Amino acid sequence: MTGYVLGRLAQAAVVMLVMSALVFLGVYAIGNPIDVLISPDATQDIRAAAIAAYGLDKPLWEQYFTFLGRILSGDLGRSFVYGMPVSELLLGRLPATLELTLTAIVGATIVGVPLGIYAGWRPHTTFSKLLMGFSILGFSVPTFWIGLVLIFVFAVELGWLPAGGRGATLHLFGADWSFLTVDGLKHMFLPALNLSLFKFAMMIRLARSGTRETMGTDTVKFARAAGLSEWTVLSRHVLRLISIPIVTVFGLELGATLAFAVVTETIFSWPGLGKLVIESITALDRPVMVAYLVIVSFVFIGINLAVDLSYAALDPRLRKGGGR
Amino acid sequence: MNPPVLSVRGLTTRFHNRAGAVTVVDGVSFDLARGEVIGLVGESGSGKSMTGFSLIGLIDAPGRIEAGSSVKLEGRELIGLPDRDLRHLRGRRISMVFQDPMMTLNPVLTIGEQMRLVLAAHGRIDRASARARSAEVLGRVGIPDPTARLDAYPHQFSGGMRQRVAIAIAILNRPAVIVADEPTTALDVSIQAQILAEMRRLVAEDGTAMIWISHDLATVSSIADRLCVMYAGRIVEHGPATEVLGAPRHPYTRGLLDSLPSQSEPGADLRQIPGATPSLAALPPGCPFEPRCGRADPVCTTRPEDVEAPPRGWRCHHPLGETAA
Ligand SMILES: Nc1ncnc2c1ncn2[C@@H]1O[C@H](COP(=O)(O)OP(=O)(O)OP(=O)(O)O)[C@@H](O)[C@H]1O
Ligand code: SF4
Ligand SMILES: [Mg+2]
Repeated sequence: MTGYVLGRLAQAAVVMLVMSALVFLGVYAIGNPIDVLISPDATQDIRAAAIAAYGLDKPLWEQYFTFLGRILSGDLGRSFVYGMPVSELLLGRLPATLELTLTAIVGATIVGVPLGIYAGWRPHTTFSKLLMGFSILGFSVPTFWIGLVLIFVFAVELGWLPAGGRGATLHLFGADWSFLTVDGLKHMFLPALNLSLFKFAMMIRLARSGTRETMGTDTVKFARAAGLSEWTVLSRHVLRLISIPIVTVFGLELGATLAFAVVTETIFSWPGLGKLVIESITALDRPVMVAYLVIVSFVFIGINLAVDLSYAALDPRLRKGGGR
Repeated sequence: MNPPVLSVRGLTTRFHNRAGAVTVVDGVSFDLARGEVIGLVGESGSGKSMTGFSLIGLIDAPGRIEAGSSVKLEGRELIGLPDRDLRHLRGRRISMVFQDPMMTLNPVLTIGEQMRLVLAAHGRIDRASARARSAEVLGRVGIPDPTARLDAYPHQFSGGMRQRVAIAIAILNRPAVIVADEPTTALDVSIQAQILAEMRRLVAEDGTAMIWISHDLATVSSIADRLCVMYAGRIVEHGPATEVLGAPRHPYTRGLLDSLPSQSEPGADLRQIPGATPSLAALPPGCPFEPRCGRADPVCTTRPEDVEAPPRGWRCHHPLGETAA
């Protein structure tokens, strides 16, 4: 088992290295940052001095290793726009995205999976059919539209919840968190709901189809024949049997949402990563874009690793060294 | 004679599909005495498994056990019993073993956990007692080192060993009746005989009655005291195993016997029953075997009645062993 974990870690490191090269090359291809950094009517001497200062006269591979070395030492450069270290900038925004994303996905899973299991267990009840209709809506209606409707109904018309911002935050572990205050929770509710609807629909469908498939198997028939209650069959047998696809989608969605919560963050002016990236793209803030890409690939690789490792925990057949 | 542990009368199960109703179990009746083994034989699709599932009350919609059916387990009527009460009998007084041990056990739970769930379904039991009882029963079905094996997962067992585990789960609560639905069919031939012998020993030791379902007359004949031969959802012949096999009355039973390898000259083709199992949705109006039967005549287009000649019975206008009319 430890061998397996170490192997996977090494694999993740290699992927990370490849990703950093891709990011570097991609950004290199965008164009010469010198044009952005210095005014177009600077003299040739100033231009050459700047190029030398940024190491842009060095061969490509040398530039890459300098880039890699800086990343490894935690130095992501300075933002052109904010004039502060990128790492500080990103770390300041990460908690906002993290708490929003986690709330949305964990909520969607905790509510969606049991509902989906119910719909798979009793597919012909009115409630199950309503759930399915709802999940199709959740899939097909665009996020930004739902976001606007939510703001219009709950913030503008009813005035129950704020329309944007993080609200009051509490400082903990060196970061500011909204979920620790009532006001912050109020601010988080609508964007989290907006972000979760699609995932909620997905979890319902996933759990439902898994359950429907599982209910017809001999495993479930055998458990019923042994006198297990429906509750035990569902909570002990079925839930375990359908957990692998659910964990997979959970991980994928977590990564994707952390990286691309852009739409929701923009609509609800939630000061997270997504909003920062949109701003830095418009402002051609290259160090921020690079750092963002590196961090996003890091998060994706980390989540994939966690998902892979949890497979082994969920399905004994995948554990190495557990043979007959 | 002692009252039977299981008494089945007119058991009828229909599937109410969109296209119409299909009768998969049609008026099945038999008695099962304590410790007795009944063999239920018939070709694939004849309704053997459906009979088994009907007995334990596990027919899923759109299937339904029809009114007028009666299944009495230890004197208690099961048909019409609320789900709750039925569940408490299932796995405790009547249990079932399935064909494919690769499919029945849950691959992601340990054997011990699966056994504990079955024990806990029928009364409070702490983990230590559950483990002790489970290990004891695993030992009885011939699993070596049972206590250690409780923590193993199904994929760590061979097919034969997995079926032993499934059998252990079925006898865990000492049921009065076991329905064994082709428990050896999916196994290697060499393992089949072992499992068969094991089951025979277990039911004999416990005085458990058993319904042994098989499409293979050869297997059944080595374990069953009595035989019920099924065709198109009906029992077409029943009686003591030796008599049914030695002097079959129904042409279908004869056909099954003739298609056994041991009945043919070595090297000769097996004599298969001509034709195929009929579609249950479009049975002939009279005897369902009529299109395939060599003895059929115009009378056979009417439905043959049950003939009861204890200890035997059959459903045929022209039974074998009588001078042909
Ligand atoms: N949902 C259903 N609707 C209609 N007919 C069905 C349905 N499910 C099963 N049947 C029919 O019930 C009949 C009996 O099936 P059953 O599984 O009891 O056969 P069997 O004797 O156990 O055969 P085998 O030896 O293949 O296991 C089959 O002909 C099958 O087509
Ligand atoms: S009733 Fe007629 S058709 Fe049916 S088995 Fe007997 S002889 Fe054959
Ligand atoms: Mg069957």
